[in-house]
Amino acid sequence: MSKKKPVIFDIGWNACINCGACVAICPQEAGFISPFDTIAVDRPCDIACLLCEDICPVRTITHREAVMVPTAAALLAL
Amino acid sequence: MTKFEYDLLIVGSGPAGATVARYAANAGLSVLIVDKKQELGSPIQCSGAVSRHALEEVELPLDEEYILEPIYGFAIYNQVGESTKIDYRKIKGDEYGSGPGKKPLGYVVDRRRFDRYCMTQAERAGAETWLKTEASGYATLPDGRCAVSVKRYNEDIEITCKVLVGADGLMSQVGKWAGLQTHIRITELAGCLQFIVDNVETEGLLEIITGHEWAPGGYAWVFPKGHGYAEIGLGVIPTMTKQPAQWHLDKFIKQSFFKERFANCRILEVQGGGVPLAAPLRTQYADNLVLVGDAARHVNPITGGGIHTALNGGKIAANFLIEHFQNPAATFTAKDLKGYQDAWLAELGDKMWSLYHKKTAVFHHEDIPTRDAYLYETMSDYFDPHSEYKKI
Repeated sequence: MSKKKPVIFDIGWNACINCGACVAICPQEAGFISPFDTIAVDRPCDIACLLCEDICPVRTITHREAVMVPTAAALLAL
Repeated sequence: MTKFEYDLLIVGSGPAGATVARYAANAGLSVLIVDKKQELGSPIQCSGAVSRHALEEVELPLDEEYILEPIYGFAIYNQVGESTKIDYRKIKGDEYGSGPGKKPLGYVVDRRRFDRYCMTQAERAGAETWLKTEASGYATLPDGRCAVSVKRYNEDIEITCKVLVGADGLMSQVGKWAGLQTHIRITELAGCLQFIVDNVETEGLLEIITGHEWAPGGYAWVFPKGHGYAEIGLGVIPTMTKQPAQWHLDKFIKQSFFKERFANCRILEVQGGGVPLAAPLRTQYADNLVLVGDAARHVNPITGGGIHTALNGGKIAANFLIEHFQNPAATFTAKDLKGYQDAWLAELGDKMWSLYHKKTAVFHHEDIPTRDAYLYETMSDYFDPHSEYKKI
């Protein structure tokens, strides 16, 4: 398991050329994709390998730390 | 609810998927292709170079609908601009050229037109195509078939088929559904960027520029693009540079030995893509499922070329499936479909594996000048008329 903190990606759509390289390199499970054929930007990535940022030919992917809200299951376990 | 049942459901109507569809439909199988795009081939993620042999091998008519410009050979450059030119108009002038009775070595095609053309040929052979249709998963059924969930113009539809063909490109999700090992290493995926430009002269050759200085881990290219246009691009391996492809392309245009040649270039289009310089997938089949084209990583690991390998791999998959379907008692488990991969390895894959080892040997050299020298030599050998790999 990755010890990295989950991140949420942000794509600078102005520079994105819809090349798909970020999805091609992404080790996430199937479906971690946005409607614009990039990696998902609407949910946290718990792998946070950031390879998508490295492969991007126009370097238009950035991230912020995902703010984790405890799930009900986690709270019940306390 | 309408029931949709087919022998083959193909996800992705690129060159690989459409070729499977065309051959299978021609042989009488019922075939549906789904593609989530509204316009095939777009956005373009490819330079569009393909050999004439590759088109003829899959009986695709040579048509001006998609051909942008004929190609007669190659020019391979090292990092300081010294070159090896392999011009078939000079080597085999009686066979290759633009005059009557002569032919080109290959073409640069318009991928939007080309992909549409491949789909049209499949449709005319009897395949059905649904655009704006995205597949989201599949499940095997107790009767030996599988059910594929798709969404077509926002409508959820389930399609039953015997074999699902994943032809959904480098971003393939179909292989992931089946749990196949599709992950590609960051050291083996080139981030690529290219410009279609005006005011750059070309001479019917595919020009390939090697050298860490210009394209660390990959190479740069200048291809003729028809109508007097050219295509300037490059691919870089992210672990070999701190800069993105865009930065390297800017440097190549402004600082390389071609800077005078590019001085007045005007950018007409911007395109990009990820190009695997990697080995094919080790397992390209599962229960009720086979992968073809980029989805199976049928990409030449030396050149990054994928049209020929997609077309040829598509034909191999179709031929296997056509024969398999001839048995009325045929089943479609992973074990039954392994024969596709065996056939592919024998016809194409084993050679691709050896190209992969060749490429890996080049990039194992830590010393940059040594690596540059090996890459230049390997590229020059690869495109040599006597190369054992010239049919890949």
